[in-house]
Amino acid sequence: MNNAWQSLISNSWIELAARWILGLTFIYASSHKILSPADFAKIVYGYNLFPVVLINLIAIVLPFMELIAGFALISGIYPRSAAIITCGLLVAFIVALSVNLIRGHEFHCGCFSAGEGGHTEIPEITIVRDIIYFILGLQIILFSGIRRMSIKRLSA
Amino acid sequence: MVFRKTMKEIIILVGISATLAMAVNFLSPKGIALVGQWDTSKGVITASPTGPQEWKPEEISSVARAKEIFDNGNVLFVDARSQDNYEAGHIPGAVSLPVGQFDELVGSFLDRHAAARSIVTYCSGRTCEDSHHLAQLLYGLGFEHVKVFIDGFPGWKAEGYPIE
Repeated sequence: MNNAWQSLISNSWIELAARWILGLTFIYASSHKILSPADFAKIVYGYNLFPVVLINLIAIVLPFMELIAGFALISGIYPRSAAIITCGLLVAFIVALSVNLIRGHEFHCGCFSAGEGGHTEIPEITIVRDIIYFILGLQIILFSGIRRMSIKRLSA
Repeated sequence: MVFRKTMKEIIILVGISATLAMAVNFLSPKGIALVGQWDTSKGVITASPTGPQEWKPEEISSVARAKEIFDNGNVLFVDARSQDNYEAGHIPGAVSLPVGQFDELVGSFLDRHAAARSIVTYCSGRTCEDSHHLAQLLYGLGFEHVKVFIDGFPGWKAEGYPIE
């Protein structure tokens, strides 16, 4: 079993794929939050987990952390650090979703802007998806070879 | 793993993110205040966008007041929520004009209601800004007498007032 893990962790093609998948996903995820910060702030409020004074700051800064980390992953700039940031964010998302699942708390403002004219994803699926992304991030962190397609001097 | 180097890199990446975030938020017309208004006892919650402020409709912040206005008659209540929500229950005599379908439905609304009409919009309560958006859209089309009943349908229903 140990050898199988070892070969997965040291596979540079998997590492490259992981960086691209995670990077593109995070860049895409950040886009609507950057374009509509007021709507995202309302979603943050809806989780009912943060002191009210921090809600706007989270809504302003978090999407850019996703964007910069995603960009860093794709271009291979500080890859381990970028992966640590994305894994950290994923842990935060998983915790937030799980806490609200356990509480049975669902925020329905009843508004169109939050997409309640359409449909939203089931939290359990999002949690599973985020765990998978987290595992990809872990591979990037644990990888110790030469990373493909990355900016050589800056690769960690 | 070189811990200190990694810490430095993380700080750099987070620092760039925070700086870029603040700059974009400050310069963008969609930017929001650093602290929003999230207290429902103060009114409808909002992230407090700092962009060009549009006309703000007058708010009816007590359900009793909304009932008075309803009883006085001659006021058109307009429901900003989705068709499904409207059909599940609405204020008697209210017209459905889902804000997400405004462009499609406004034509027939204009045919039936003169711009001089007194209007009160409502949606799902103080966590919803749709009624404000609807009021602004109507104002933009020439409806000068538009107010927003901020406690919305849930507030009305909670007081036990008649519903349809």
